[in-house]
Parts: sequence; C-alpha cells; structure tokens
Amino acid sequence: MNRTESKARDDGGALLEVRGLTVTFGTPRGDVDVVRDLSFTVDRRQTLGIVGESGSGKSMTSLAVMGLLPKGATASGSIRLDGVEILGKSDAALRKLRGNSMAMVFQDPLSSLNPYYTVGLQITEAYRAHHNVSRKAARAVAIEALDRVRIKDPHLRIDHYPHQFSGGMRQRIMIAIALCCEPDLVIADEPTTALDVTVQAQILELMADLQAETGTGMIFITHDLAVVSQVAQDVVVMNGGVQVEAGSTEQIFSAPQHDYTRALLAAIPRLDDDLEELKMVGDFRTGATR
Amino acid sequence: MSAGEPLLEARNLVKEFTTNTGGVLSGKKRAFRAVDDVSFAVGRARTVAVVGESGSGKSTTARMVARLMPADGGSVLLDGEDVTHGTGAALKHFRSQVQVVFQDPFSSLNPRHTVDRIITAPLDYQGMGVPGGKRQLVKGLMERVGLNPDHSGRYPSQFSGGQAQRIGIARALAVKPKLLICDEAVSALDVSVQAQVINLFKSLQAEDGYSIIFIAHDLAVVRQIAHDVVVMNRGAVVESGTRDEIFDNPTQPYTRSLLAAIPTINPEWEARRRVNEQRERAALT
Amino acid sequence: MPGYILRRLLGVAVILFLVSFLTFCIFFLLSPDPAVMICGKTCNPARIDQIREQLGVNQPFLAQFWQFLSGIFAGRTYGEGAAAIHCAAPCLGFSFQTNQSVVDMITARLPVSVTVAVGAAVLWLLIGISAGLVSAIKAGTWWDKGAMMFALGGISLPNYFIALVLQYVLVVQLQVLPFPSTPDFGEDPLFWFQSYIMPWTVLAFGYASMYARLTRANVLDTLGENFMRTARAKGLPSLLVLRRHALRPSLTPIVTLFGMDFAGLLGGALITETVFGLNGVGKLAADSIGKNDQPVIMAVTLMAAFFVVVANVVVDLLYAVLDPRVRVKS
Ligand SMILES: Nc1ncnc2c1ncn2[C@@H]1O[C@H](COP(=O)(O)OP(=O)(O)O)[C@@H](O)[C@H]1O
Ligand SMILES: Nc1ncnc2c1ncn2[C@@H]1O[C@H](COP(=O)(O)OP(=O)(O)O)[C@@H](O)[C@H]1O
Ligand SMILES: [Mg+2]
Ligand SMILES: [Mg+2]
Repeated sequence: MNRTESKARDDGGALLEVRGLTVTFGTPRGDVDVVRDLSFTVDRRQTLGIVGESGSGKSMTSLAVMGLLPKGATASGSIRLDGVEILGKSDAALRKLRGNSMAMVFQDPLSSLNPYYTVGLQITEAYRAHHNVSRKAARAVAIEALDRVRIKDPHLRIDHYPHQFSGGMRQRIMIAIALCCEPDLVIADEPTTALDVTVQAQILELMADLQAETGTGMIFITHDLAVVSQVAQDVVVMNGGVQVEAGSTEQIFSAPQHDYTRALLAAIPRLDDDLEELKMVGDFRTGATR
Repeated sequence: MSAGEPLLEARNLVKEFTTNTGGVLSGKKRAFRAVDDVSFAVGRARTVAVVGESGSGKSTTARMVARLMPADGGSVLLDGEDVTHGTGAALKHFRSQVQVVFQDPFSSLNPRHTVDRIITAPLDYQGMGVPGGKRQLVKGLMERVGLNPDHSGRYPSQFSGGQAQRIGIARALAVKPKLLICDEAVSALDVSVQAQVINLFKSLQAEDGYSIIFIAHDLAVVRQIAHDVVVMNRGAVVESGTRDEIFDNPTQPYTRSLLAAIPTINPEWEARRRVNEQRERAALT
Repeated sequence: MPGYILRRLLGVAVILFLVSFLTFCIFFLLSPDPAVMICGKTCNPARIDQIREQLGVNQPFLAQFWQFLSGIFAGRTYGEGAAAIHCAAPCLGFSFQTNQSVVDMITARLPVSVTVAVGAAVLWLLIGISAGLVSAIKAGTWWDKGAMMFALGGISLPNYFIALVLQYVLVVQLQVLPFPSTPDFGEDPLFWFQSYIMPWTVLAFGYASMYARLTRANVLDTLGENFMRTARAKGLPSLLVLRRHALRPSLTPIVTLFGMDFAGLLGGALITETVFGLNGVGKLAADSIGKNDQPVIMAVTLMAAFFVVVANVVVDLLYAVLDPRVRVKS
C-alpha cells in the first residue's frame, strides 16, 4: 500500500479544531454536562494527550468528535475537521468520515472485536466501507495491514478469530482496523490500559512508528500521566468534564500551574522514590480525606 | 527473607487446571500448571509483594494461601503450623488470622447490605463477641480506614471506588487478623485514590503490625509498599528478594524487562517541577 | 471431532437406556395387571394365566425388561406354538386396547405431529424473532411496548384456553374455518391447511412470545457491546452493523432453545392435538393414558425422550459450528 496524498489538504491549518465543546446528558433530574466548554487543537503528525481520572469526560469527548455519542447525549460547540464543521452533520455524512478520515482505537481490544467473525473480515469490512473494491483486493489490503502492525504470518492469521490472539495482538488488530483507510486523525481511548506493561511498551512503540510513517494526527486519551508524558507533544488535563490545564507536555510536567495537576503528579507511584507528600491530595469526587 | 520465624510460609505450592486443547469438540484435555512450585515467606509486620504479568498465577497463589482454593501440592504454614488441610475449627481459626481484600471493591461487597452489616459479617461467621458492642467497633474501624462513621447505614453503591475499597479493608480488619492478602486491591483505583489507599495500608501496618501479601501487576505501586518482592512468570517464581534487591539489582532478565517497560516521566521535567514547587512553598512561608 | 460425536452418541445410548429402565419401573410398579385389562368382562382365572404367559408378564422384572429391550433391536415373539405372534425388529409390543402393533400406531401418527411442529416452528421463529428485533431496535417506543404486552399475553395465557377461544370464535361463531380433523394433504390441500392453521397459531403464539422476549433481551445486550461501537466507528451503514454484528451474537443462543423446543414438540403436542382433534402422537399419548394402555405410553415416552436427547447433541454440535470460540481453541 503506498501512502497516497493525505485526504486532508495540508494547508497549514489545524487538522482538528474543537471549540467550546459541551456534551450534555438529559436525565430525569435535569440536564447534566459531562463535558463543558472544552477547546483544543490537533495538528498533523502531532499527538495531543488528554489525561484525567475516571469519569472526567475523556471518552465522551472522543465519542463526540466521532459522532458516536450514546443515546441521550448531545454535543454543542464546534468541531472542525480540516476546516470543515462536522458537529451537527447528518449521520450519513459522518459515516463517510468515520473510519475513513478519522478512526478510533478503543480500550478493551477483546470486547471491541466481534468474537463471531475472523479478524480478516473485521478489517476488510472497514476498508470496503469506504472503497469500492472486490473481496480479494480488500483481503490483500487486510493482509498488508496486519503486516504493518507486525503480526507474523499475516496471510494465515487473517483467517483467525479474535480469541485466538493475545491481548497485545488484539490491540494490534484494532490498530490495523483503524489505519487501513489511512485516516488523517486517530483517536486512541486508553489503548494500553488493559495491557501488561511490557505489551504496553510494544504497542506504544508501534503507534509511534506508524504515526511517523503515515503522518496522522492523534488524540491519545489515558489516565496514566507517565504514558501521556511519553507519547504527546501537547496535553489537556481534565477533571469533572472541564479542562483544568493545557499546554505543551514539557510545560505541564515541569511547571504545572493548577493544584489539581500538581496533586495528580504527586500521586504517581514512582520507581526511584517514595510517594510525595499526600496531604494535598483529596478524594476529588467525594471530598473524603484521611 | 526476614529475621525470626515468618508468620506465613508457602512451600512448593502447585495448582493444575485441566483445559481443552484444540477446541471443545476435539475433547483433548491437558493439565496445565497455573502455579508451579511456588514458595515464599511472609515476615511479621512485613509486606511481601507478588508481581507478574496477567496470567502468571498470582491470584491462584493468593487463593491457595487464603484457603479459598485447595492446593494440588505443597503446603501453607501459619505460625509454623501446617494449615493446608485444616477443616472445621482449625479452618475457622485460620480465617480469623488471614483476611482477603479483592480487586473490584463493588463486586466484592454485597450491594443489598449496609456497611454496618458488611463489616461485621466476618465477626458473625467467627461467632466472636465484641467488647463494647458491634456499633462501636464498626465506627472505630470506619474511622481507621478513613470513612465517615456516620455513614455506616449506607449501601456500597453510595460510595466512590476508593471508599468502597476502604469498606473492604475495614471488613478484613474486623476480626483482627494477622495477615491481609490484597489481590490487586488498588489496581482499579485512580492514582490519587490509589496513593491514599497505599498510605492507608502503610499506616495500618505501622500501627498494628499487620503482615501483608500484596498482589499487583504494577511494579511502581509495589515499590511504594513492599518490603519483599516475589516475581512470578508462567506460574513459577522467577526471583525473589528484598524490595531494593529486586528494584536496584534485578538478576533475572525477565525482571529487568518488566522494570524497563514501566513508563516514566522525563526525570529532568520531574526535577524541575520539584524545584519549582519548593520555591513556591518557600515563597509562601 | 469424530471422537467427540462418538462419545456424545454413547451418552445418548446410556441416557435412553436409563429412561427406558425408569419408565419400565414405573409401569411395572404402578399399573394394574394388564392381563386383567385385556381379558375384559368375560374372564376366568385360566384365561388370565394364559394371557400373562403370552405377554410374558408372569416373569420376573429384569427378565421382562430384557425382553422389552431386545424386542426393540431384534424383535420378539409372544406366546408359543400356533398361538405365537411375531413382532418384527423395532418391536414395542402391541396395544392392550386395539391389539395393533405400537410401532405401526406411532408411525401412522408421527407425520401429523411433525406437520404440527414444523408449521408452528416456522411461524413462531418468523414472528418471535422479528417482533423481538423490532422491539429491541425501537426499545421504549410504542412498538416495543405493544409487542411486549402481546408477548406477555402469549406467555401467561394457557394453550388450551387460546385453542378453545380460537375454535369457538373462528369455527363456531364466524364459521370462517371448518371443524378441524386430520386430513391428507394430497386429497384436499385447502382443507388440510384450514385444519392445521389453528393448531399452528395456538402453538406458535406461546413460543413466539417467549422467543420475542428472549430475542429482544439478547439484541439489547448485543447493542451495548463494545464491538458494536467499533463497527459504527468504521463507518459501516447502520443496517449492515445490525445485520452482521448484532444479529449473529443475539440469535446463536436462541438456536439452543429452539432445538430443544422443537424436539419437545415432535414428541407430540398433547393439549393442542387433543383440542383440535388431530390424530397425532400427542393425542395418542393422551388417549392411551386415559385407557392405561401401557405399551403405547411406554413407546410414546421413549420416543419423546429420544427426540429430546438427540436434539441436545445436535444443538451442542450446532452451537460449536456457530460460535467460533467453542469451535476453535486459541
Ligand atoms: N449514559 C449516561 N448517562 C449519564 N451520564 C453518563 C452516561 N455515560 C457516561 N456518563 C457520565 O459521563 C461522565 C464522563 O464519562 P467518560 O467520558 O466515560 O469518562 P472517562 O472516559 O474520562 O472515564 C461520567 O461522569 C459518567 O458518569
Ligand atoms: N478456575 C480456573 N480454571 C482454569 N484455569 C484457570 C482458573 N483460574 C485461573 N486459571 C488460569 O491460571 C492462570 C493463572 O491465573 P491467575 O492466577 O488468575 O493469574 P494472575 O492473577 O497472575 O493474572 C491463567 O492462565 C488462568 O487462565
Ligand atoms: Mg473512558
Ligand atoms: Mg489476578
């Protein structure tokens, strides 16, 4: 597969520009904003990290960009992909973008793959959703996609089912699915959280290599500050649906401005030292203290 | 590992599971060793961490040690006494000495019982009387683990993950055990909550001298809490030693690869952040 | 795979042996002396002895059981000499009531029960699954609520009640259908259809209700699965997402249930056949129970057990074919 011209015109403008994104759930007890007034940009060849503890609205943000919010949730604000407003587009129009211009890698690779179908089918259907090609041609693409994510014997493995792969290989397959249409933007929502550290290291390396090869822009969502410090150029720290702090990775990690960011950094267990003082870390959602 | 007679000793533990190979239809069964000749000792008031990747047999080992699953080989000694096969009163006594805290705080707490009832359940099983009354004991325990004692009438769903885990710890402490077995007890928690629970374990140990078997896949967490470390891979012990031996001078390539894979923050940024923060604090005072 | 099937078939044989032993025990212990029944009103002790001799019921229990079993595989001969009656290989004895061969009686009626079962199954699968699907996709709407109310009716109303009401309304009051009997398709296809449509409907109603609820629950579960989100993230058309990714995981468990339900019906729909006067295996069973016709009851019981046990194996094999996680190991 030779790398064709990026589908997006590389005219210097940001690949993804999110402005004032608010995601609201209508509940019987009134509307709840799970993401409020969030703004960020993602450039080509760049990785934006979004960090925050569970429930801070990271996944809702990514689903809002993909236009895949669950029932009951509505997004407002502005989401521009390559200069074009996509928030509020019809589902049919969004479908043409999903998988094609923007793709997603999810947290749990086993449950994110359908156990009833071979990985080959699950890759080819993604390709064929956007390319009018024969089964055979799509299969060749899928074999190459598996090869690109460094799965050995791709021509044999293509006919295997998800449960026949290890956790790390399943995530490689998810990445192959996401990359098979050469999207401009990849959103990875906790892609390594379910994996062992050694496997995580391999997957992170693979993602970095592929990004260098293809030049895609990436949103990397995680709760793990150390991981985000390694993969992202820019970071958004979220808490309770709002942006706490944003800036370059170096800035966030060497001179955090907000108390919340500082508390988070202090709470990371480290390999070279004992935990820093914990007095300042409260249980943010409950106010419990010890 | 530590001086004096250890509180608990696991000797040559073995567990085999039979699995179907080549699909259910072929019917070929094969015994597979999930735990293969695992031995370690837990000193008094010490924490032994068992680490390894998922599927390495950590939980199975813990279950055997906790007598929640029969061992296929080997023995467990508590205070020098073989407790591998004890039943009836002996088992009851064992359970009053060894308590378990599980990974998922919510699924290990009965959602239909109040905190009060959850915490006193092991006491009822033991048929233990409580001087000063149960109410008093529950309040005391809740305070110890950092929960508001006025919330003893609430249900688990009314608590956050970190708080629910504290309930699990309070329940484990109710019978005044000597050993706590924590199977991934902080793995599901957010970092800030995780740090609090780790500190809770440390202060409980410092105050009351509990021994702890701390099972985790996260080596950075283990580094914060363990005195001794047992590294497992594919059911077997790869290497074991004191925390500093394992973290500073690992002898086995497997241990080294585990350590090398842990993501870390650029140390230069870390140093700058600390200097910044110290400067700010100094400016404040 | 062949080894597995062989082992399963062996299991079937063992279970059928146990079932026949148990049924035999029950009849041996509980029923009145068959010789007295057969002998009828004009009877004397000598005649009873003679009949006992001929039936073999004067022999010890195990010997009788052995004769019964070997009769099935090798045939058996009742009585001796000139009075001897031979019963060829799959021999399940003779009816005490009509003296007919039990095997003949069953083979004559089996097609009726099969027709009832197949027709009902087609109906209930079509209706149940599509209603369940629509309910799940339109969950919370009036479509969903209506379908589920209907299904609740199908589950709670007893079969015979629906059968009687239907018959009263359609046949007696409106007279849109003739009074049903057991017709032959070749003779009068229209009458054949008119006779079967009510039993099909009655049976299908209950099952379809159950299948609709189950399908709805399964589809709702599947729609919440992570792989559905993946499928949508690929940009697949929503219909393809549903058809390919939701349907198969939702319907595979239903195959198991269907296999068992269908096999159960092959053993005879007792109530429905009786109400509609269909001469199927179910009605045969009902009649013979009423008249204490032991050989027939034995045979019908055994046959029903046979269908269920075999269906069990078939369903397990089918499940393995449909679910790759069962079929191929990592
Ligand atoms: N279906 C829903 N209805 C109402 N609130 C929801 C729903 N799904 C998620 N939420 C809430 O949205 C918030 C953000 O969730 P999420 O984006 O998944 O967090 P994260 O990915 O950062 O862990 C959470 O507080 C969660 O409780
Ligand atoms: N009840 C069981 N039956 C069969 N295999 C099991 C069972 N419990 C655990 N295993 C297997 O034993 C191995 C070790 O499991 P476990 O002790 O849970 O590992 P860990 O806790 O280190 O992740 C795994 O391969 C797992 O699949
Ligand atoms: Mg999330
Ligand atoms: Mg485990």
